[in-house]
Amino acid sequence: MLAHGEIAPEIGGQPLPSPALLCFFKTDCPACHLGLRYLDGLFHHYRGRAAIVAVSQDDPSGTQGLAESLGLELPMRFDSSLQASEAWGLEAVPALFLLDRRGRVCDSSQGFDKADLNRLSSALGGLAVTEPPAPIRSGDGNPDFQPGCVSRHLEPPSEAEEAAPALELYSRRGLKASRVQVPEGVEPEEFCYEQGFADPLPVIPPTVGRVDRMLAATALAPDEIVAHVPPNYAPASVEKLAANAVMAGCLPEYMRVLVPAVRALCDERLDIHGVQGTTHFAAPLAVINGPVRLDLGFACGSNVFSNAARANSTIGRALQLVLRNLGGAAPGRIDMSTMGNPGRFAYVIGENEEASPWGPLSEDFGVGGGRSAVTFYCAEPPRPVSEHKARTAEVLLRAFCPVLANLWSHRVCRRQEALVVIGPEHASTLGRSGFTKRDVVEYLFENTGVALREYDGDGGEGTQEVKWYEECVIRGERCYRKFRRPESIRVMVAGGPAGKFSVVLGSWQVGPRGSQMVCVEID
Amino acid sequence: MATTLVNPLDERDPPAGSVPARLATLQSSRIALLDISKPGGSIFLDRLESLLKARHGVSEVLRYAKPTFAKPAPEAVLADIREAQPHAVIEALAD
Repeated sequence: MLAHGEIAPEIGGQPLPSPALLCFFKTDCPACHLGLRYLDGLFHHYRGRAAIVAVSQDDPSGTQGLAESLGLELPMRFDSSLQASEAWGLEAVPALFLLDRRGRVCDSSQGFDKADLNRLSSALGGLAVTEPPAPIRSGDGNPDFQPGCVSRHLEPPSEAEEAAPALELYSRRGLKASRVQVPEGVEPEEFCYEQGFADPLPVIPPTVGRVDRMLAATALAPDEIVAHVPPNYAPASVEKLAANAVMAGCLPEYMRVLVPAVRALCDERLDIHGVQGTTHFAAPLAVINGPVRLDLGFACGSNVFSNAARANSTIGRALQLVLRNLGGAAPGRIDMSTMGNPGRFAYVIGENEEASPWGPLSEDFGVGGGRSAVTFYCAEPPRPVSEHKARTAEVLLRAFCPVLANLWSHRVCRRQEALVVIGPEHASTLGRSGFTKRDVVEYLFENTGVALREYDGDGGEGTQEVKWYEECVIRGERCYRKFRRPESIRVMVAGGPAGKFSVVLGSWQVGPRGSQMVCVEID
Repeated sequence: MATTLVNPLDERDPPAGSVPARLATLQSSRIALLDISKPGGSIFLDRLESLLKARHGVSEVLRYAKPTFAKPAPEAVLADIREAQPHAVIEALAD
């Protein structure tokens, strides 16, 4: 890499602009694809004030294809001869260089790193005497860091010939979906089964007219890619989503929820890649908050987890069809869940905000104030809590603790999270006792544990890990604390007005090495 | 009138997740085991490695591991495997 202070050599015999941010890349490098998307945003911000230039190590025709799939508009230069790559001392791509007003390198970075991009962007703003754009956020669905690939000029001679096609993880424009003719005399519904379009329930055939009506309900272009669906990472264009939405029985106005929901579902933090292939019970649960619940008629009350409303059932089914038809996770092939989960048909609930003494679940993730949101949590099937006699919060919450203590596996501690869905009658008891949501969480955290006497040396699951556990005393009994921290427990309100019932939903693997809850605002 | 449908499936070619052709023989081959890091998996894979060598004439077993079974293998791990050029890679799951 050129050292800071060195004059940047020419590329292709042409002088370079300054100040400028240059990015060398190659077309088959996923980290380059990711970086270029953000650089294109910087190009639009700094246009006319500072230069952002991408330098391709490949020929113009191959680069053009990538630029179209990523929707890039920033200017390109070409170093197909790789002379500049060598002269600039590249080791890996993407390689970024910040040039000052005299054309000297004043900062650089290799690989994709949001912190580096923010630093370079901010410095460019300083050189151009203009405000930099808002920093790139951590947790926007893309990784914070991704190692780059070896620079093209350092590749072994044979590699270019043997290389597999690049994974297109970040393309923004996709191909038009093909049209399929149903043969004369064949029922379209049966044809969909034969073609492998469907889950085991009948689908509404995605005719061109029906898909067009679905597309008319969104301002997005049909070929715009909303996400790449794990585990096969197929591009989910708006048109593909619309076809699956038709099959699931969605109304056109449900696209307002389906598009952000698919974005959230494929957010790297949720790790649907792992959940789609696990033998565990987990399935992605979507929780809907805000005015959209009432606009589209989401069930938040009675039978909230079952077949109460078209919005819940058909959007939930559309999400599952997307995972199956685009993600490739068909049961028995990639989806190898031992017991499955009834939520694999549809797992969408609305929060009963009107019956809640607290703010909505989405507020925990920064989307409150009457805004709409969808929050995903990879959840086991619901475990019931029944308590009909409790008059106070403390007595009521005692009924939740043994259920929580059994999550994942009875004697495993600290590895799981919980979503506690409190029924309106229980919520009313808690509210009357003056319990805030935080009070509920802290009570459940402090009072949920597994008694030490359960660890009697039989070698069962969770017994080998006790050195990691935290000992505590609950009601005079020595226990291991079930949860790592209070934030491992989330609380919301849903369900019908009658019946002193609630449910607890256990998690899949959690944290940065597993699944984290993801909340996305709905416009 | 014929009904025309919009294809709702992944239409990429070749399809994702295609399995390569089986090796004709394991004799004198180099096999990579990608341990997905399930608890206790390495015990099973140690035994598998010895059986591949003793019973099937595998000349070398290369061992790799994902940091966590819950996530895809990092690109660096895949690059290491590609560089070693084994005859076959087994995504090695044991639980």
